[in-house]
Amino acid sequence: MTGLFFFSKTFLQFPCPNPPLIRLTSFDYPPIKTVQTMAINRNSLIFLLLGSACCSLSLEAKTLLTAEPERLIALQGARLHLAPGQTLEQGTLVIQGNRIKAVLDGIQTPAGANVIDMKGLDIYPGFIDPFTEYGIGFEYPKQEKDAPVYEIGRIGGNAANGAIHAEKQWAHFFAPNKESAEAWVNNGFTSVHSAKFDGIFRGTGVHVSLADKIANDVIYSERGNSFLSFDKGSSIQDYPNSLMGAIALIRQTLMDASWYQQNKRRLASDNQPGTLEFNAALDAIGEPNQTFYIFDTPDLNNQLRASRLMKEFTLSGALLGNGQEYARLNEIKVSGASVILPLNFPAAPDVSSPETEQQLKLAELRHWEYAPKNLSMLSDAGVSFALTLHGIDDKKDFWPRLKKALDAGLEEQAALAALTTDAAKIAGIDKFAGKLSPGFIADLAVYSGNPFKDGKLVSVFLMGEETALKPREQLALAGRYELGYQDKRHAVKLDVNHSPDGSFELAFEEPANTNTNASVDTNAAADSKPDSKSESAPSPIKLAGRPHELTGRAALPGIDGKARIILDLRAKKGTATLADGSVIALSLTHVTEAKAAATAKADAAKTDASGDEKAKAKADANKALIGKLTSPNVAFGLSSAPAQDKVHIQGATLWTSEADGILENTDLIISKGRILKIGQNLMTPPGFTKIDARGKHLTAGIVDEHSHIALNGGTNEDTDAVTSEVRIGDVLNPDDIALYRSLAGGVTTAQLLHGSANPIGGQSQLIKLRWGETAEGLKYEGAPGSIKFALGENVKQSNWGDDYTTRFPQSRMGVEAAIADAFDAARQHQADIAAFEKLSSSEQKARVSPRPNLRLDALSEVLASKRDVHIHSYVQSEILMFLRLAEAYGFKVKAFTHVLEGYKVAKELAAHGAGASTFSDWWAYKFEVYDAIVENACLMQQQGVLTSLNSDSFEMQRRLNQEAAKSMMYCNMSAEDAWKMITINPAIQLGIEKDTGSLKEGKVADIVLWDAHPMSVYARTEMVWVDGKRHFDRELDRQMQAEQAAERRALINKILTLDEEGRSGEAPKAAQSEPEWHCDTHFEVFKTGISTQQSTQHSHGAH
Amino acid sequence: MKKFVFIPLLLASSIASSHDMVPATDQSAPLLITNATVHTVSDGVKANTSVLVEQGRIKAIGNNLNAAGATVIDASGKHLYPGMVALDTQVGMVEISMVRPTVDTYDVGDNNADLRAAAVFNPDSEIIPTLRRNGITHAQIVPRGELLAGQSALVNLDSWTVEDAKVEAPQSLHLYWPEPKLPAKADEREKAFAEHSKALSNIDKLFADANSFIARKQSEPKLTHRRFEAMAGLFDGSARLFIHADEASAIREALVLVNRYKLSAVIVGGYEAAEVADGLKAAGVAVVYPSVLSLPRHSDDNIDEAFAVPAKMAAAGIEFAIAYSGDWEARNLPYAAGYAAAHGLGRDAALKAITLDAAKIAGVNDMGAIKEGYRANLVLAEGDILDPLTGRIQQVFIDGRAIDLKTRSAQLYQKYLKR
Repeated sequence: MTGLFFFSKTFLQFPCPNPPLIRLTSFDYPPIKTVQTMAINRNSLIFLLLGSACCSLSLEAKTLLTAEPERLIALQGARLHLAPGQTLEQGTLVIQGNRIKAVLDGIQTPAGANVIDMKGLDIYPGFIDPFTEYGIGFEYPKQEKDAPVYEIGRIGGNAANGAIHAEKQWAHFFAPNKESAEAWVNNGFTSVHSAKFDGIFRGTGVHVSLADKIANDVIYSERGNSFLSFDKGSSIQDYPNSLMGAIALIRQTLMDASWYQQNKRRLASDNQPGTLEFNAALDAIGEPNQTFYIFDTPDLNNQLRASRLMKEFTLSGALLGNGQEYARLNEIKVSGASVILPLNFPAAPDVSSPETEQQLKLAELRHWEYAPKNLSMLSDAGVSFALTLHGIDDKKDFWPRLKKALDAGLEEQAALAALTTDAAKIAGIDKFAGKLSPGFIADLAVYSGNPFKDGKLVSVFLMGEETALKPREQLALAGRYELGYQDKRHAVKLDVNHSPDGSFELAFEEPANTNTNASVDTNAAADSKPDSKSESAPSPIKLAGRPHELTGRAALPGIDGKARIILDLRAKKGTATLADGSVIALSLTHVTEAKAAATAKADAAKTDASGDEKAKAKADANKALIGKLTSPNVAFGLSSAPAQDKVHIQGATLWTSEADGILENTDLIISKGRILKIGQNLMTPPGFTKIDARGKHLTAGIVDEHSHIALNGGTNEDTDAVTSEVRIGDVLNPDDIALYRSLAGGVTTAQLLHGSANPIGGQSQLIKLRWGETAEGLKYEGAPGSIKFALGENVKQSNWGDDYTTRFPQSRMGVEAAIADAFDAARQHQADIAAFEKLSSSEQKARVSPRPNLRLDALSEVLASKRDVHIHSYVQSEILMFLRLAEAYGFKVKAFTHVLEGYKVAKELAAHGAGASTFSDWWAYKFEVYDAIVENACLMQQQGVLTSLNSDSFEMQRRLNQEAAKSMMYCNMSAEDAWKMITINPAIQLGIEKDTGSLKEGKVADIVLWDAHPMSVYARTEMVWVDGKRHFDRELDRQMQAEQAAERRALINKILTLDEEGRSGEAPKAAQSEPEWHCDTHFEVFKTGISTQQSTQHSHGAH
Repeated sequence: MKKFVFIPLLLASSIASSHDMVPATDQSAPLLITNATVHTVSDGVKANTSVLVEQGRIKAIGNNLNAAGATVIDASGKHLYPGMVALDTQVGMVEISMVRPTVDTYDVGDNNADLRAAAVFNPDSEIIPTLRRNGITHAQIVPRGELLAGQSALVNLDSWTVEDAKVEAPQSLHLYWPEPKLPAKADEREKAFAEHSKALSNIDKLFADANSFIARKQSEPKLTHRRFEAMAGLFDGSARLFIHADEASAIREALVLVNRYKLSAVIVGGYEAAEVADGLKAAGVAVVYPSVLSLPRHSDDNIDEAFAVPAKMAAAGIEFAIAYSGDWEARNLPYAAGYAAAHGLGRDAALKAITLDAAKIAGVNDMGAIKEGYRANLVLAEGDILDPLTGRIQQVFIDGRAIDLKTRSAQLYQKYLKR
C-alpha cells in the first residue's frame, strides 16, 4: 500500500492532521483498524463530543483539491489462483488503483510499484455472496392490523398489493456498515449482492464492495438483480394468504408488467394523461424476461415451484437453495437454474430422550447425514451454484461447514468456482469480478496455506486496499528456532506460534536428556514459583509482547537456576540474565518457517503409506452414508420407481363397474400400462408374471372427487370472495405420506380441490396417486379443467369469528349476487378483448389494451364450458339457486360436492344433468348439515342423479370402500351400484371415464387387488396399480417397515457415536407444520398460525 | 303365545314417519327369541339357540325354552348380539358442534371434578336414535376439559329423561393428561419440557391437596370444597379415574400417579399402550382405545398403525375396549371394531371390545354379554354387525324393551320419497 491514498481517506474521516502512521514500508503497515483506533484516541475529546456521528461526517477543514495519483502495488511471489482450475505457482499481481493491472509470471518488480512480499501465500479472487441484506437499514413501516385488510393505501403509484415492492431500488437505501461487513470479510468475501428481503416482488438489488468507504464509492452495480419470493412478508394486506395465492399474484403481476410496457411504449403519456395509470411497480418490472431474478425459497418444494414459474415466464435467474437439493437432484438439474446455497447443515437431531427421538422423522435423520454431501452431489450433476452466508446463524461456521462438504466429496475447484466465478455470474458482475485477471476489480482473499484444507485467511483486498487480518510479519516470524548460547556449546530447539490475539507462544522441545532440559516461565509465574524443580516436562508457555521483545524466565541446560531471557525474533538474538546477575548473549536460528514446516509435515504424511490409507479410510467413512435416498425422500419412499408391470391376474372376482357387472373367476392381463385383456382362462403371454387371485377381488382404482391431500401452503386462498386465479396445481406436495396411505386404501385418482372459504375458490388439480413421482408427475394428464365454487356457511363466514363480518357476501342472498357479478365481469372482460381485437392496428395503438386478468379468464372458461364447476353445497335452497344461475349463464354444473340435501332436489339435479358427490353418513357438525341423511346417495341415485361418494378427509380417503358399503346397509343400494359410486361415477364427474374408473379392455390399468369382498370391513388391498405400475404392494410395505426401523436405529447410533463437535450444525428453524387440510382450514402460510380448530381424534373436522 | 310380526325397517319407518320416536315401555311380557346364532361374547357363539328374556334380564339361553305368554321372535338364520357400549362419547351433550349454544361438552378450569355430564344429557337429541339404529344401546358421556374435566355417566339410549337413562355405575372422573408436542428448536423444546414438568407437579399438588383435604374432613366435617369432595372416591377406590393419554411417556407418568394413590384407573387413548404393557397390567389399568379410524399419530408410523393398536394390546395381554369418540360419529363404533378385527384382532375379540369389555371398563358387570342374569340388551341382525356389508340390524332391545329404530334421517328419507 502506498500511503497517499490512505492518508487522504484518513483525512476525510478523522480530524487528525498528522495521522500516526508509523512507517510506510510495504511490509509493515498496521491494519486499518489499528490506525483508526489510534486516531480516535488522539482526538478523544472531539470523538466524545461528536459521538459515533464522527465516523460518517467529514470534520476535516482542510480541503485538498488535487487528485490523488492511483497507487501501483505489486503483490510479489504468491501462488495466484487466477480462476478455478488455473493456478500460477509463483507470480506477481500488479494492482493499479482498484483494478488488477497485470498478472505476471514469477517474481517481478514493475517499475514504480510498491512491492509487497507475498512469498508462500496464496491469493484468490475475493469471494462473492449474491444473497445478502448487507447495508440495507431500511424497514417497511410496521402497521397494526386488527381486522382483515382487503385493500392497502396507494402512495406514489405503488402496486395494488402490499407485497409488491418492485419499484424499490436498493442502491438508494444502501449505506456501508463496517461492523456487519466483518462477517463476510473474515470469511474471505469482498463483495455482496444486497436487497431487503421482504415481500414477494422485493425490488432491484445492489452489488457492493465490502470496503469501508462511502456508499457512492463501493457500489459496483446500482441495478443488480431483482429479488422474488413467495412470502408476502410484512404486508398487512390479507391477499395472498396462501402459497398458491402468492404464485397467482406473481403470475398476474408479471403479465401486468408486460401489458404496462407494451402500452407505455404505445402511448406518449404526456399528451394522453389519464389514459394509462401510472404504476411505478409495474414500470420497474418492465419486460419480465429482461431481468435476472433471484428467487428466495424456503424449501425444496418451493424451490422447484419457483423454477417452474420462471420457466413459464421464461425468466432467467437463480434459486436460493435450502440444502435438500440432493433429494430431487434430477429435477433441480433439469430446471437449468443455478442455485445459491446456504451452508445450513443441520445439527444432529436430538436423540437424548425417548420423547425427542420418537418425534424425529426418518427424513430429518437422513437429511442430517446427507446435508454436507449435497454440494458435491449438485456439483457432480453439473448444477452451477454459488455459496452464501445466508442461513447460517454464526457466520464463523461458514468455513468449517464448507470443509465438511469438501470431506464429503466436493472438489476444491468446484468450491472455488462457487465462491468466485459462479457467484459473480449469478450476481451479474462476472465481467469484472471473480477472477484474477487484468481489468478485474482488485478484490482478493490472501491465504496462508490452502483455505480448503487448513489455510488461514491473512488479509483481503477490497477494491485494491488491504484489510489485514493477520499481520504477515508475525506470521513470518512463527516457526521452529534453535536457541544457542555460550558459543553455541548449548542449543535448545523451540517452536514459536503466533496466537490470534497478537501474542506469541513459545514451546521448548522436550529434550531426550533431562540434563539439557529447559523450561521457561512467564514473568508473572516466575515471581511466585520457586526456581528449583525445573526438571519437569516443559509445557508451552505464552509470552505477551512484541516480536522484538519477548521476555520470560527459563531454566537453560548448563546454567543454574532460571535465567531471565529476552528474545528478539526479528534480530534473531537475545540475552539471558543469570541468577548471579551476569548477562550472556543468545543467538537464534530460524530453522523452518511455520508454513514450510506444516507443508513438510503434510508431505511426510503423504509419503507415509499407512497414514495415507488412514486418511482415505476416514474420507470413505465420511462418504459412506447409512441413510437411504428414496423418492420421495421420506419414510415409505420408494428406492426405485415402479416399472410397468406385465402381469396376468388369474381367477379373480372382477368388479368391472361396467354393464358386465361382477365377473366370477376371471383373468385380467396388464400390459404397457393398460388392461390388455379380460376373460376366463386366458393364456399367459410369454414373459408375463402370473398372480393367483382365486378367492380375491379385482376392482378399478377408487376415484375420489373431493380431496385436499398432498398440498403445501394452504388449501384456501380465503381472503377475497373470488379467487379463481389460484391454482391447486401450483402447490402439490409429492412428499405427503397421505398419498401413500390413500393409495394403500385403493385410491388411484383424486381431485384436489380448493377449500370452501369463498364463493369462487381456485382451480382444482386432478392427480393420480403415483407415490414416488414428482409434483408434476402426479398430475393427471389431459383431464378437463375444473374449479371449486362454494355456497353456504363457509363462504358467508358464519363460523369465522367476529372479525369477519365485512366481506361481501354475508348471506346466501349475497352469495348468489357475488357469483353473478363475477360472471358479469368475466363477460365484460371478454367483450373488451373482442372489441379491442376488432380494432385496426392504428386504432389499437391509440388506446390501452385490455389488462390481462387471470381471475376473470378462469370464469370465462366456465362460461364457455371449458372449465367444470364442482360446487360445495349443502342445503336445497342454495343448490337450486346455483342450478338456475348456471342455467341463466348457459353452462352445466358438473358436480355438486357434499350436497347433503341433494335428496330434497334430486329431480332438479337429474333434470339439469348435474352430478352429486356426497358423504355416506356425515351430519350434525354444523347447522346446514342437520338435515343430512344416510339415505341421500340412494335417493339421488334412484332419481337418476349421477352420484358418487367422496372423502374430503385424509383419514376416510383410506376407506372409501367401507363408505360405499354403508349405502348398501342404510338404504339397500345394490353392491354394483355402490361400487360405481367410488369408481366410474366420480370418473364421469371428472371427465376421465374414457380412461379410468372401470375394468375394461384398453383402459388404463388403475387396478386394486383386494383380499376379500371390496366393500367388506375386513377387506384390505394387496396390490394397487396406477397406470399399470405397482405403486403399492402390501408385501413391499412390510419389508419397508422392517428396513426403515433398522435404518432409523443405525442413524441414531451414528449420532450417538459423535462428540459435541461432530453433532454441531445449524439449529432447526421452527418450521411451521402444516395441518391436514380441510375445506374450511384457514391457514396463514406467511405468519404463525392456523386459526382453525384441529379435531384430535378423527379427521373429519368440518367441511 | 303371541306371534311377533317382524316389520322390515323401511316399512316400519314409513308407517311411523309422522310421529316422534317414543321411548319403549318397560318389558311387560316375556320375550323368546328362537333359533338364533347367539354371539354370547362370554361363552362363544351358539348356533340355533334360543334366548328368553324376562323383566329386562336374560332368563335363559338354550333350546326348547318356553315361557307362558311370551312374545316369540323366530330368529332362524339371524344373529343375536349383546348391545354395544360406546365409550368416550359426547352424545346428548352436543347437538351441532359448530352451533355454540348447542355445545355443553367443555368447561374452563383445571379442576372441574364436580362437573357432571349427566347434568346436560339431552335424551331427545336427534343423534341418539342414529346410534341405537346401529346396535349401540349404551353410551358413556364424557366431559372434555383441560385437566380434571369432570364426571362421565353411563346412559341407555332410549329414555324420557336422564334419570331414566342413567345406568348405575361407579363414579368416573376424567383427567386429560398433558402431552406436550415438542418443538424442533432446542430452546423452545427446553421450554416445553419445563412447562410439562410444571404441569406434572400441578397434578401432583392437586391430588396431594385433595387427599389431605379428605383426610382432614374426617375430623372437620364442616369443611366444604365441592371439587375436592368430588375426588373423594378416587382415594378409597370407589371411584374410577379415566386418564386420557396416548403417548407411552404420558402413560408412564400417569402410572406413577395411579400407583401412588392406588387408583382404580383406565387409560383413554392408549395409542402407544402396548409399550407400557407391563406397567399397565401391574397397576390393573385397562385401556379405552378410540382411534382405530384415525390417522397414525406420526407421519413415519406404519400406515396401518392406528388400525392395529388393538391387536397389539391383545398380544401384550392388556385389558382394553374399543371406542369411537365424538357425538354423531360414535355410530360408527361397530365398523371401527370391524376394521381392528381385520388388522389382527379377530372378530370375536373385536366384538368383545365393544360389548363385554366396554361395559366392564365402564364399571358395569351385568352388561355386554348374552348370559343368564345379564341385562337384556340385545341386537338382532341378518348378518355380522361389525360389517356394513352384511350387518342388517332388525331389532334392538334395551333391558328387554323393544326399541324404535327410526331416526330423523329415515323420517326425512320417507318424506322426500313422497315428493
